[in-house]
Amino acid sequence: MKKLIQFKNIVKDFDGKLVLKGINLDIYENEFVTLLGPSGCGKTTLLRILGGFLTQTEGQVLFDGEEISKVPPYKREVNTVFQKYALFPHMNVYNNIAFGLKIKKEPKDIIEQKVKRMLKLVNLEEFADRNVTAMSGGQQQRVAIARALVNEPSVLLLDEPLGALDLKLRKEMQQELKKIQQEVGITFIYVTHDQEEALTMSDKIVVMKEGEIQQIGSPTDIYNEPINQFVANFIGESNIIDGVMLEDYLVMFEDKKFKCVDFGFAPHEKVDVVIRPEDLDIVPRVNGKLKGIVKSVLFKGVHYETVVETKVGTSITVKMMVSDDHPVYNESANEKMSANDFYLDVDDVDELDEGTIVARANAQAWDPETDEYVSIKEINYSIKKENGNYPVTFSTAAGTSVTVNMIVKDENRVVNKEYQEEFFAVNFFKKADEIHESIALETDLKTWANASAWSLEDGTSVEITNVKYDFDPETVTPGVYEVTFATEGYEYKIDTTDRYEIGDEVGLTFQPEDIHIMIKEN
Amino acid sequence: MRQFRNMAMPYIVWMVVMIVLPMLLIMLYAFTDQGNDVATIRFTLENFTRFFSDKVFMSVLKRSLYIAVVTTVICIFLGYPIAYVIANRSEKSKMFWILLITLPTWINMLVRTYAWMGILQDEGIINWLLGFLGIGPITMIHTTFAVVLGMVYNFVPFMILQIYTALTKMDKSFLEAASDLGANKVQSFLRVTLPLSLPGVISGITLVFLPAVSSFFIPKLLGGGQYVLIGNVIETEFLTSGDWNFGSAISLAMAVIIMISMYITKKVDNDPTANGKGE
Amino acid sequence: MEKKKTSLFSKILLGLTAVFFYVPILYIILFSFNSSRSLTKFEGFSLRWYEKMFADSTMMEAVAYTVIIAVLATIISTVVGTLTAIGLSKSRKLMRAVVEQVNNLPIMNPEIVTAIGLLMFFSALGVKKGFLTLLLAHVMFCIPYVILSVTPKLRSLDPNLADAALDLGATPMQALWKVIVPQIMPGIISGALIAFTMSFDDFVISYFVTGNGVNNISILVYTMSKRVNPSINALSTLVILLITVVLLIVNVIPIIKEKKGRKVT
Repeated sequence: MKKLIQFKNIVKDFDGKLVLKGINLDIYENEFVTLLGPSGCGKTTLLRILGGFLTQTEGQVLFDGEEISKVPPYKREVNTVFQKYALFPHMNVYNNIAFGLKIKKEPKDIIEQKVKRMLKLVNLEEFADRNVTAMSGGQQQRVAIARALVNEPSVLLLDEPLGALDLKLRKEMQQELKKIQQEVGITFIYVTHDQEEALTMSDKIVVMKEGEIQQIGSPTDIYNEPINQFVANFIGESNIIDGVMLEDYLVMFEDKKFKCVDFGFAPHEKVDVVIRPEDLDIVPRVNGKLKGIVKSVLFKGVHYETVVETKVGTSITVKMMVSDDHPVYNESANEKMSANDFYLDVDDVDELDEGTIVARANAQAWDPETDEYVSIKEINYSIKKENGNYPVTFSTAAGTSVTVNMIVKDENRVVNKEYQEEFFAVNFFKKADEIHESIALETDLKTWANASAWSLEDGTSVEITNVKYDFDPETVTPGVYEVTFATEGYEYKIDTTDRYEIGDEVGLTFQPEDIHIMIKEN
Repeated sequence: MRQFRNMAMPYIVWMVVMIVLPMLLIMLYAFTDQGNDVATIRFTLENFTRFFSDKVFMSVLKRSLYIAVVTTVICIFLGYPIAYVIANRSEKSKMFWILLITLPTWINMLVRTYAWMGILQDEGIINWLLGFLGIGPITMIHTTFAVVLGMVYNFVPFMILQIYTALTKMDKSFLEAASDLGANKVQSFLRVTLPLSLPGVISGITLVFLPAVSSFFIPKLLGGGQYVLIGNVIETEFLTSGDWNFGSAISLAMAVIIMISMYITKKVDNDPTANGKGE
Repeated sequence: MEKKKTSLFSKILLGLTAVFFYVPILYIILFSFNSSRSLTKFEGFSLRWYEKMFADSTMMEAVAYTVIIAVLATIISTVVGTLTAIGLSKSRKLMRAVVEQVNNLPIMNPEIVTAIGLLMFFSALGVKKGFLTLLLAHVMFCIPYVILSVTPKLRSLDPNLADAALDLGATPMQALWKVIVPQIMPGIISGALIAFTMSFDDFVISYFVTGNGVNNISILVYTMSKRVNPSINALSTLVILLITVVLLIVNVIPIIKEKKGRKVT
């Protein structure tokens, strides 16, 4: 096969924004090439440069070995099927298709012959006189393809041509486009953000992200051996798990060793492990390579997307002491004041300052008549860096004062070795009213308990996704309640045809070739 | 299609020469004194002080603003009901009436104003009709009434069309929602229709007030030679007495006054507290 | 009950509106056929004021100037305005915004201000007031209206349409002529119509920038209205007739075309 188009280090800059960052790509004769990527990845820009509607900032475009950057669009042997078709609304189907031929001043009988052949190719023989605005999306699409192909280009560019069609029609047109491409035997360059479209039609897929090519390969290559997490995610929904490549053909994740077919990584290199939902099977628990609990089931039309949690995340339970509201009332100064006991971690003692104490104790003084706050003038406390109760006294200028306890403890953290996660949270005191009034209780609970979780490996914070409590926030009465915070565990998406129930205990199994190892992206 | 960009270039040059330069010339003349020699150019505010300190000019200015305000108010109270009635008719009837109101605006304003000269005469048809009722004859030509009538006649179609557009663009579901929430017809008009059509009224005011302040042939034709508005002063300065500097200053002052009134009108429109008028 | 009342009210209101708008126009037409000089008493049918009008060379000249200027100004402003609007639609946003602002000046400014600006501008250049200054001024105030009526049509156009034409081998000029212009034709036609009537009806600007005996109909009506001259009625009737015919043609042609188009399919 012959190289037809060569992009050499194409850079495109739109008002200082780099849309293409050096694209190198060869396209051969008779290939069906798909530029695949999310919107804004530069795929359409690249197509428009080839069509001649944009000029690259840097780099060369070679067509048949000749630089064509200076050739205007109307002299290029390339035709385009535009997004939303761009049919000429003031012309009927016939005249739309004949437009290019008429411009070239071809003889009338030849034009008629060629247009008829095209109408036949796209199955619109009876529609020649039809007004294009009165046609369905699928029919307009066919007209647009015929209008481009009638000029016998050596390359056809298609810019998300199926985007405006509904699912059923899109599937039909995918088949048809592939058929047409094989029939006319020219290169198709197809731009889409739909990975399914790319996989069904293409000979070659070019995955792009933020102006750069991520991977070039056949659909099977791209699907089975995605080069990184972006490609894997984009090309299909996948399970991506942190793992370590122990040696060639052996990977460890979830603390278990698994055989795989990948090699060539450094010993103990950290990798992303990809397992596709359709490659995982749910089996009885005893037969499973991984064991877990069904967490959610979603019907996707032809199959169920079942999510199995193989391990719950790190969790920590703290006590919430709910007390009644009984502020101190200083009649002579006409002031009310309140504060509550609070827990402190041993490590926090060093960094303790008055602001923190006021905030944690929720100390406040106010004038009961006007409801205006009175400032707290004095805070008296002494504290040691060991477990115990330490009184703290808040007082105002008028002499109103409240004394509460700071309770220092060192059992406020949980370490999850398997996950390399550490979790911190403290017991706390709250008034019933504050719980009643909370509008975002889970967030408030996290704040009150000072809850946070982080990775032991690199110290980055880990999101707390679950907050569980056993009281009704509307009616909570004084007493002691438990609040549990937890991080996300490991989850796998599995495509199944059988329906499982949430809470089922199941096993998961897969084959060595189902495991895809990818370079860790950072 | 960047090659098409160049097609705008000739007009951009033309625009600078034919629109921007003349505007700059007005400013230059307004702030300089007579003796239009580039070498001896002298900047001065005298043209303005002369205009604003002269009692005669001030009374002309006052009269112009008064006539313009009265015209605008009449146009609102005349135009709103007409627009409202048309907007509530069937589609076909709407088209017919809008065409009927638009048609005269295509006909030469001067010709249409001239027509009123005959109608308003002491022996004209109005007085002839009044004669049957035993009234009159009433002198109408060469009065403020005639000038305001001429202006209303010429400018009220702009008001009607603006309000009509605002009313028809309005989502009917608002009214349904209002009546669903228990508003009666008057309430839903005051609380929904009126506030939502206010932008139409505002742009109508712009389109009426602006030509009303600056008009000079309507007062001349219907007010007679003695009826002088600011436009007539400008005409005289430029075409009779030839004091272009002074004339430019008056024009500039007028343009600024118009801009300020427009600004205030828009401001009132945007002021949320002003929407409580229906209370 | 309530409904009937409002509909009666609306009927009366609309009836009065029609009377208010059309009586003056009918009045002029009627008195142009008056046999006496009177502007108030109709004393019998005659065509003498039409004869007089056609015999009056200043009137005929004014009619000729009005038509020639209107036709030329319409052609020039339609072509320039359309090309400019297309050019702007492909220009950068900032450029477009600036041009649109300046373009709006003649529309937003009181006519008399535009008029004196042009008057001083022409005299500063030493151009003699007359046909040329009149034409230039008319072109100047017509173009903004053409741009205003073409631009929305361009905005609703598929941005890929011109690219599609180029892609199929059309040169930029061919793309413009065969694809863009037919698409925005309604906007161009209404722009041309506005330009024509603006020019045909203009008084204020023409009054200030013309000279050397070059007058249009409006100026003539203005200067002649001081004395009773029923020929003005005849002239006005002519103006009304002409504009009505133009409007009818513009409004009726598309309907006929549509009907014909339906027959074909």
